[in-house]
Amino acid sequence: MTDVATVQRLEPADARELAEMLRSADDRRLAVVVRGHGTKAGWGVPAVRTDAVLSTARLQEPIEHCAGDLTVTAPAGATLAAVNAVLARDGQWLPLDPWAGGESTVGGLIATNDSGPRRHRAGAPRDLLIGVEFALVDGTTARAGGRVVKNVAGYDLGRLLCGSFGSLAVITSATFKLSPLPPASRTVAIAVPDGAALGRLIAAFAAAVLTPSAVEVALPGPRLLVRFETTETAAVQQAAHAETLAAAAGAHARVLHGADESACWHGHDAAVHHPGGVLLRLNVLPTDVAGVLAALEQRASLHGLRLHAAGRALLGCLLVHADGESAALVELIRHLRTAARPPAGHVAVLSAPAAVTHAVPVWEDLGGAAAIMRAVKAQFDPRGTLCPGGGPGGLA
Amino acid sequence: MTDVTPAPAGAPAGLPGSFHAALAQALPADAVLRHPADLLTYESDALVHLRQTPGAVVLPRTTAEVAAVVRLCHAHRIPFVARGHGTGLSGGALPRPDGLLISLARMTRIRHVDIDNQYVVVEPGVTNLDITKCVAPFGCYYAPDPSSQSVCSIGGNVAENSGGAHCLKYGFTVHHVLGVEAVLPDGDVIRLGGPTLDPPGLDLLGVIVGSEGTLAVVTEVTVRILRRPQAVLTLLAGFPSIDAAGEAVSAIIACGIVPAAVEMMDRLTIDAAEAAVHPNFPPSQAVLIVELDGAQIEVHELFATVEAVCGRCGAETVEIARDNTARERIWKGRKAAFAAMGRVSPNYYVQDGVVPRTRLPEVLRRIRDLERRSGLRIGNVFHAGDGNLHPLICYDEAIPGQAAHAEQVASEILQYCLDAGGSLTGEHGVGADKKGSMPKMFTADDLDTMQRLRCAFDPSAICNPGKVFPTPRLCGEVPGPYRAHPVERAGLAERF
Repeated sequence: MTDVATVQRLEPADARELAEMLRSADDRRLAVVVRGHGTKAGWGVPAVRTDAVLSTARLQEPIEHCAGDLTVTAPAGATLAAVNAVLARDGQWLPLDPWAGGESTVGGLIATNDSGPRRHRAGAPRDLLIGVEFALVDGTTARAGGRVVKNVAGYDLGRLLCGSFGSLAVITSATFKLSPLPPASRTVAIAVPDGAALGRLIAAFAAAVLTPSAVEVALPGPRLLVRFETTETAAVQQAAHAETLAAAAGAHARVLHGADESACWHGHDAAVHHPGGVLLRLNVLPTDVAGVLAALEQRASLHGLRLHAAGRALLGCLLVHADGESAALVELIRHLRTAARPPAGHVAVLSAPAAVTHAVPVWEDLGGAAAIMRAVKAQFDPRGTLCPGGGPGGLA
Repeated sequence: MTDVTPAPAGAPAGLPGSFHAALAQALPADAVLRHPADLLTYESDALVHLRQTPGAVVLPRTTAEVAAVVRLCHAHRIPFVARGHGTGLSGGALPRPDGLLISLARMTRIRHVDIDNQYVVVEPGVTNLDITKCVAPFGCYYAPDPSSQSVCSIGGNVAENSGGAHCLKYGFTVHHVLGVEAVLPDGDVIRLGGPTLDPPGLDLLGVIVGSEGTLAVVTEVTVRILRRPQAVLTLLAGFPSIDAAGEAVSAIIACGIVPAAVEMMDRLTIDAAEAAVHPNFPPSQAVLIVELDGAQIEVHELFATVEAVCGRCGAETVEIARDNTARERIWKGRKAAFAAMGRVSPNYYVQDGVVPRTRLPEVLRRIRDLERRSGLRIGNVFHAGDGNLHPLICYDEAIPGQAAHAEQVASEILQYCLDAGGSLTGEHGVGADKKGSMPKMFTADDLDTMQRLRCAFDPSAICNPGKVFPTPRLCGEVPGPYRAHPVERAGLAERF
């Protein structure tokens, strides 16, 4: 185990110094863990060894907004809130709403590829990233992609870094494509009577001609939150259409806007943020969402687990928080993994107490792709300096 | 390290007899082509001025056959090139005399359709448009729509990360591919991604898409399909100048509208399209095609703004496509533009470059100056929303030296794109065509870092070698920049 007292803290002021620090650490065989604001520092598997923590906090070059091109270039240390504050002046934004919201840094967003309800329409960081600058452990600084929204020159290493959890390289700045800020918003909050009705409603929204920016499912409930972010007239009309779909499924719906709407989304985001317990990420087929949630609730009540869930109903991406006896949590994860097997689904443990992670693997099995993933890691970080053992899928 | 550089002139090319014998064992007789006449078809892709005769061609029908062939290539250290339907415009499928060409044209099955979960699983030889055709009865479609969509293969789209007219709003192939089955350069078959999102481990799917066939041979693709939007409105506006049309595009984006497509054509390409397919375009200096799609109410509201903006920016004519027939006629004029150039010029060279959208007027001015200076006519048709230019340089190959001159002009235009902070290619790829220009856009370290990925996938450098990168990286080398020797560090010696 790492002795916390001896962990060095590296705080480079710019990309050049960062690359130099990385090279020096690599030369001295020090294990380096990269950190932004630490909003997801507990996700995944901790590195097996940490000699130095490299913080991107001082990477704060000016945020370059090209409004006419719908692009922004921002340093890794900038927070999403800081970036969006600059973009808002020209009526634009980076439409990401990750865990911990605006506090996430640009570097951390990419490294975790984290997104939230708006992924439904806007996508995840991997879908919005168009260029990236980064440093390798041998001190090389490199760039891939560019600053134009359409570009197929060279390998898209930015996508490779999305979700790499700091295991391949250290991101120093990134360029994203942007969206105009929507002029109006309405949210239809639907209290769904039961799992069967939830399944029918999800199917109805999947087949509808509506263009929501988010379609969220939540437990306890079940509840559905369907958001329309567009012009005032279109938001009002689409919300009314969504209400009729809800009524047809025998569910009660309310249209929210203004402060009520903000409070509703704040509550939804907070629903799976609890200290302790386990936080799981489930990916299933959209047609399985209602069934999986119903089975989860049944199991939770049987084993005395406190359960909260929130996720993208039409993408099949769910975050589940469960708290209770360790043994019951372990059983829950095992059960989910038996029920949701690739390719129909998979389950990652984002955070969990040691008693749980000792009993079940944190990451899904990499299957036949494990060897090629290890080869990629070895090319970028031959000595295993970056986040050893803490890469996605537990890459060493 | 195997030497896979082209054989020197005069040296015997072709494949060793032992390899031919092994191929004959691995595949049915009708899946192997060796006779010179049979190989002709495969000498080039749609970038026809780059030609080479492949050592042999195989036409596998299954993933197992592809894997068997690749394993053989790996064992014999024979380079191979995968090819879809040969519509590529950068020589990505250019074969080599000392290598094998793997055509995926016989892998054309649609393996699975799931409308409720909005995905389709297909083999690589299925054409882009056939995916849409198979889900159209359910009100769905496959979004990326390169101009060649009726003939190009989905495998080729994956290799090139193909775009199309609608990628301003809907993105590229990479945004619509959920998973692939791929044969690695050693013959191993892997699966990346699938119908559920966030597959475990590194996002290798995100880099295989757009890798131009240099990392693996894709043998199955899972794509996302979308519901047809409730409303689509298309407008065709004629402007007195390219600048006026460009201003209209800026004004539309400044209004917070992201159209599904914004296309621009100049006078020369309008004339060519008129001569070829008679789309009834106005006789203006420039036309703009703007398309909005989405929910009915939203589209109608925003469309009124677009119409007003075009008027404010000096549009001479505005035609609104009221039905599908009118819409298809407008798009036919745009999509036929490349081929139509044949009506106004014996030969033409298609360039593909990107500039930040706001720099379009400046770059177009430079292109007009170049047109005057070079004496070659240059038509401009482009995806104006995302700054992707397709200048068409007209020449006559019967006039000695003019083909080479056109190529120089095309390469100068690329330099303008790079000067403006843009890219060498927006959708056609680097391939064999632009690999020499890569150092103009990327540093040696950038390219070297990209090639680390290549070394992880293909350490023997047999998977479409000689494409994308100007110089291959020797995968056996210790990666990274120069490091001081301990003796130097200690100040005991210097290196000169």
